[in-house]
Amino acid sequence: MEAVIQPPRRSAVRDWVFTVDHKKIGIMYGITAILFFFVGGLFALLVRTDLLVPKGLFPTQSYNEFYTMHASIMIFAVIIPLLTGAFGNYLVPLQIGARDMAFPRMNALSYWLYAVSGILLVLSMFFGMPDAGWTAYPPYSIQSQGPGIDMWVMAIHFAGLSSILGAINFIVTILKMRAPGMTLNRMPLFVWSMLVTAFMQIFGTPALATAVTTLLLDRHFGTVFYTVSAGGDPMLYQHLFWFYSHPAVYIMILPGFGIISEVIPVFSRKPIFGYRAIAYSSIGIGFLGFFVWAHHMFVAGMEMSAGVPFMITSMIIAVPTSIKIFNWLATMWRGSVSYDVPMMYASLGFIGSFIIGGFSGVIVASVPLDMQLHDTYFIVAHIHYVLFGGSVMTIMAGLHYWFPKVTGRMYNNKLGYAGFWMYFVGTQVTFFPMHFLGLAGMPRRISSYLPQFQFWNDVATAGAYLLGLGTLIIVTNLFVSAKYGRKVSSNPWEAQTLEWMTSSPPPEHNFDDIPVVTENPYGPYRHPELFPA
Amino acid sequence: MGSLSSSTWLPPELTPMSHNVDVLFYIILGVVTFFFVVVEVLLVYFLVRYRRTKKNQVGVNVHGNSKLEVVWTLIPALILVVMGVMSVKYVYAEQTTPVANPYVIQVIGHEWRWEFKYPNGVDTFNDLRIPAGQTVLFKITSADVVHGFYIPAVRIQQDALPGRITEFHMTAKQSDIGQVFNVPCDQFCGVGHPKMMANMTIMSQSGFNSWLGNTLKTQQASS
Repeated sequence: MEAVIQPPRRSAVRDWVFTVDHKKIGIMYGITAILFFFVGGLFALLVRTDLLVPKGLFPTQSYNEFYTMHASIMIFAVIIPLLTGAFGNYLVPLQIGARDMAFPRMNALSYWLYAVSGILLVLSMFFGMPDAGWTAYPPYSIQSQGPGIDMWVMAIHFAGLSSILGAINFIVTILKMRAPGMTLNRMPLFVWSMLVTAFMQIFGTPALATAVTTLLLDRHFGTVFYTVSAGGDPMLYQHLFWFYSHPAVYIMILPGFGIISEVIPVFSRKPIFGYRAIAYSSIGIGFLGFFVWAHHMFVAGMEMSAGVPFMITSMIIAVPTSIKIFNWLATMWRGSVSYDVPMMYASLGFIGSFIIGGFSGVIVASVPLDMQLHDTYFIVAHIHYVLFGGSVMTIMAGLHYWFPKVTGRMYNNKLGYAGFWMYFVGTQVTFFPMHFLGLAGMPRRISSYLPQFQFWNDVATAGAYLLGLGTLIIVTNLFVSAKYGRKVSSNPWEAQTLEWMTSSPPPEHNFDDIPVVTENPYGPYRHPELFPA
Repeated sequence: MGSLSSSTWLPPELTPMSHNVDVLFYIILGVVTFFFVVVEVLLVYFLVRYRRTKKNQVGVNVHGNSKLEVVWTLIPALILVVMGVMSVKYVYAEQTTPVANPYVIQVIGHEWRWEFKYPNGVDTFNDLRIPAGQTVLFKITSADVVHGFYIPAVRIQQDALPGRITEFHMTAKQSDIGQVFNVPCDQFCGVGHPKMMANMTIMSQSGFNSWLGNTLKTQQASS
């Protein structure tokens, strides 16, 4: 006689729309963000298509709208929600041995605020698309007419509120709900990275909210924050904007660093090298990240010498990042390294590409060199090596690594490799030539250019198409395999973090018995038969 | 010089300062390229050397090494500080205007063209002419939105902001007389942004003076 009471079967709507389960919310974040990834990617392809010929294929106004939408969607509706919303929500409670987030309803609210934000952003297309760049510098963004930019401002507000609520949730969950025995120094490194990220979101987001609110007030309510003739100053906006938006770059990469710190030891069958160095360097990045913002403004009317302290902090912040890189390499040293798809993304894909963005960052941190390279394609190359060679590679590593956890199935391996190589090659072909264009003096954000720049632009466009095709293959593989993939055991990678100590997919309450933690999750590799899950 | 090479690497060096900036660039590029090669070689070597060849193969049980952590924290920090100090020297060299009596040209960004005002009252659009051998100081501002006054051959730019004056100076060499350089706007300023570009012509002092005089006469006649 079974004593288990089966709950009545609920409709899919009740099951998903009204869910407060962190895993379902994480999955909804993931699927929504991937949908927006296609929209943002489509805009990227429109931008690259325009640049096939020197005079441009589309009207300049359309081009301005395309690149504005591309960056806004990718940053606010794809990378941040994927890393914090999808990976963070799904993994943090599982990795710390909790049954859910601290505030499950607020968690659902964060998701729905994000969904509204993304939809507003996409809908703004039909109401005079925003055309002021994702930076929306006044006075241009005040001068530009139509509801597009207003909807963009509202979208930022919804995304910001979602971020702040999510961050509060992560901080409380991580600090208060860890399984017995899990001290801070026994937390998985992904959890460490989420903790630092959450603090950065709380500190930074209000500055962004202030920036876009004053923009809205200036546009419609007669205030003069940025009207020079009335005593306003456009530079104030730039300071407020970058006080959030530079830390935002770290918000977009720190959780990715966390993913890499999980993937590399598992696929090297070795304990992570320098656990504390990796964990604490994240805190260093989180702290220093708030003291570098003005390096976006070296040529914006600051005294050149006022740039010096920001140059120093911008260079120093490379140190905690290089600490991580060296520790990941040392983790692979004398390991037993497998070439599974997540490891390919983490090693060659992420480390191999991201360091280019790190090194070009050191170059543009130097004030005299930034005087030359600012607002050229060199910057475009730099940020895409950070966000695509960096963040997106970590996202792909994470999606493939935790895929069997979420679905209980395995992706198709051949398509996995095909997608990886297209991404790896596509990244270099698309973004590396942009360094050359920038050095040669091609400004960014232009729909037409001097004829001599055509060759490298065409190379970059070819690379972008390859990335588009790669994305189609990767996403198709994941979605089809979620339904038809080969079923696998609950811990196919033989990992040691807690999320793998429960069934795949996990039950709604995560663990039948809350685990008791006695050490950090990066012990010596143990063959699975020695410790049955 | 083929068109490909000029679109792949740095433009010509117009001034001693652009040469200095290039030297700094090559030094920093050399350092980061060295570390780039080190990391990529280690990455690929570890991937190949420690590839899992047997199903039950296991990595060594090493958790870290404090000495190594100190080494790879201090060495990058030291190198970065050195690069920072080297950069600082040029910051002050570019900022301070040591030359007495520079020739001042006012630069005004408009949607979407560059206006240049010369001391004698001559006023041109998208046509910048400067005398070789004389230090020219640009006083840059904007009549509307933010623009970016950028001369790639001089390796320098300053934003043109409404209500603010930014500035930089340059001295063209005699050997560049007759040469023309691009002066694009590199801060997004709206639908005319990609077409907002001036030409900078380097002239001899005498050629410049006669151009300035003739243009003044023409402009006075037409107004």
